[in-house]
Amino acid sequence: MRKILAITAGKIIIFLSRMLGNQGTDFPGRVARKIYPEILKTLAANIREEIFIVTGTNGKTTTTNMIASILREKGYSLVHNTAGANMLTGITTAFIEASDLLGRQKFDYALLEVDEAFVPLLIKEARPRVVIITNFFRDQLDRYGELDHTINLIKDGVRNSDIELVLNGDDPLVSHFHNDTGLHCWYYGFEDTIYDALESMESREGRYCVFCGHELDYQRYHYAQLGQFRCPQCDNHNPDLNFTGHKLKMNPFIEMNVNDLVIQSPYQGFYNAYNILAAVSAARLVGIEDSIIQSAIAGYRPRAGRMENFIINGKRTVLILVKNPTGLNQTLSTLLYDAKSKNLFIALNDNAADGRDISWIWDADVEMLAGEKARISYVVCSGQRSGDIAVRIKYSGIDSSIINIKSNLAEGIELAVGGAGEVNYILSTYTALFECQKILKKLQKDENSEVTGQRQLQA
Amino acid sequence: MAGFVIAHMYPDLLNLYGDRGNLLCLQQRMRWHGHDCRIKNIRLGEKIDYASIDMIFLGGGSDREQGLVYRDLVGRSDEFMAHIEDGMPVLCICGAYQLLGISYIAVDGQVMEGLKFFDFITRGAKNRLIGNVLIKACIDGEEISVVGFENHGGRTYFEDDSLRPFGTVIKGYGNNGEDKQEGIKYKNLIGTYLHGPLLPKNPGAADYYLKTMAARRGIELNRRLDDYIEQMAHEQVKKKLLAT
Repeated sequence: MRKILAITAGKIIIFLSRMLGNQGTDFPGRVARKIYPEILKTLAANIREEIFIVTGTNGKTTTTNMIASILREKGYSLVHNTAGANMLTGITTAFIEASDLLGRQKFDYALLEVDEAFVPLLIKEARPRVVIITNFFRDQLDRYGELDHTINLIKDGVRNSDIELVLNGDDPLVSHFHNDTGLHCWYYGFEDTIYDALESMESREGRYCVFCGHELDYQRYHYAQLGQFRCPQCDNHNPDLNFTGHKLKMNPFIEMNVNDLVIQSPYQGFYNAYNILAAVSAARLVGIEDSIIQSAIAGYRPRAGRMENFIINGKRTVLILVKNPTGLNQTLSTLLYDAKSKNLFIALNDNAADGRDISWIWDADVEMLAGEKARISYVVCSGQRSGDIAVRIKYSGIDSSIINIKSNLAEGIELAVGGAGEVNYILSTYTALFECQKILKKLQKDENSEVTGQRQLQA
Repeated sequence: MAGFVIAHMYPDLLNLYGDRGNLLCLQQRMRWHGHDCRIKNIRLGEKIDYASIDMIFLGGGSDREQGLVYRDLVGRSDEFMAHIEDGMPVLCICGAYQLLGISYIAVDGQVMEGLKFFDFITRGAKNRLIGNVLIKACIDGEEISVVGFENHGGRTYFEDDSLRPFGTVIKGYGNNGEDKQEGIKYKNLIGTYLHGPLLPKNPGAADYYLKTMAARRGIELNRRLDDYIEQMAHEQVKKKLLAT
């Protein structure tokens, strides 16, 4: 009875908060868990096949969504939490939303993006079969060893279970999970790519062996600490891969082979190549046919701020959320893989959700923009801290004559897309993202209606 | 064209909240003035050749890292202090600034020794002092406004009346949130809680270091740099602070 009450209450709150225009992701789950603490455990038992969880510092949302789209294309029914609702309350909301009122409806799979810190708690309630770990990034925000603590928590959570792990074999902070857990592990990673660096661009990041603390030797870097490594002291090195990415091309869209399977995607950037590789690996483990994997990945379109594409003035325009140095580095390296000349717009806000301290922009390697390879034609700096981001860009070595400051987002975007570059990159921190998206949609729509208008005139 | 060298002490340990931006700033501005500027990383135990160094920079770090750095610095403190006395330009941010004093007394009463260059102590507290900050500083006899971002648990108190702060707090906390003083200024050394990083959007403070480095080599910097973007960033933070 309490179960039904909890589901009903949850569903009503989801409905009400949607009416009010909220995403309504955590609160319904929180209330339902108050009414019936066993709610997640009970509903998770309705999954017929398996529960998959995806965790790690970056790429959780994209990887989870890609796996979900492959499973949907295959015709499976799913429980799947939406972007960002990745703590126990948000996951509970996802189960309640999918369920019928009696809480008896069955689903084939559950696909859950889980915040690193909540993995052990989720495992207790939901008993996943597979845990996919994308990567662990250490950045300025982790000066106090929180990451090491989180990694140990996850290890403790999966130990003594029959969970299978799907691990990024190129990340020395992830690939060691077989030790101390003894679990069955599957590894994915890239062989040599034409984008690899032989030396790390991010000089300040120490990369040390998780077992003995010695500095790792890298043969190649794919990006950040992901690459081919070996510890000269204890011989810790990349595991043998089960799923290998070959022949990676980003032109700017991703093409590659995963083992023998040819994959094409509308996504850009090396980190998304990793997300695709993880998703394809998971799909292969489930036993999905190649043709379904290929068409689901090819048809999977980026969401708001995750490389969402627009066409404005006939030019490809990409909207990207940036929120920390690692994310900004990834985004900037994506720009390097795009051979077209670019108009670049960056909106930097300093509201609580963005982080009040904007100094992180100095921990990112913005210097890579100044090279020939980036082909930056025009820059517009915007948002509440337009001045700070403009200074950062100026000191990266970009000529100040092409740097413009327009704090107003709409004016800034209009100025940027009018630049001489062949493509537009629109970067934004969190609290400016949705307004940027709205502005881009409007510009795109205006263009469509103009085109239609012209056609009518011609007719 | 001269070749200047800035020593970045312990870059792996002391570099919090974009502190390395100070070095990027000095390096670029020196280039715009027509001179080369190189950053020399100095790690634990590595010897410093003072004769080849024009400036020393130390950033912020966590307690654990400050402990490691203290043990290394204390062994070279006499030499370091002699160069400060001699007018070596030095910039110490946050944790590195705290290290210059007598000691740091943590919330649990534990005392961490400082280098004892200056007669001040820092007391830890549970609540951190966090936010944008605006101060009035006197540089080269000229009063300028300086903006930054502070994020520190320690409260610093001068025990010696002859010590001069880097500036007077207009908005924000400064050394301790009580006496309106921010940082320390002694000869060509500035110790401060200001991250942000400090120098890029305070070109007046950056130029003070550049001019001092150059003057010590008998060089005058006479190009005028276009600081429109830097001033714009500066004014944006100032306006935001004064509106609160």
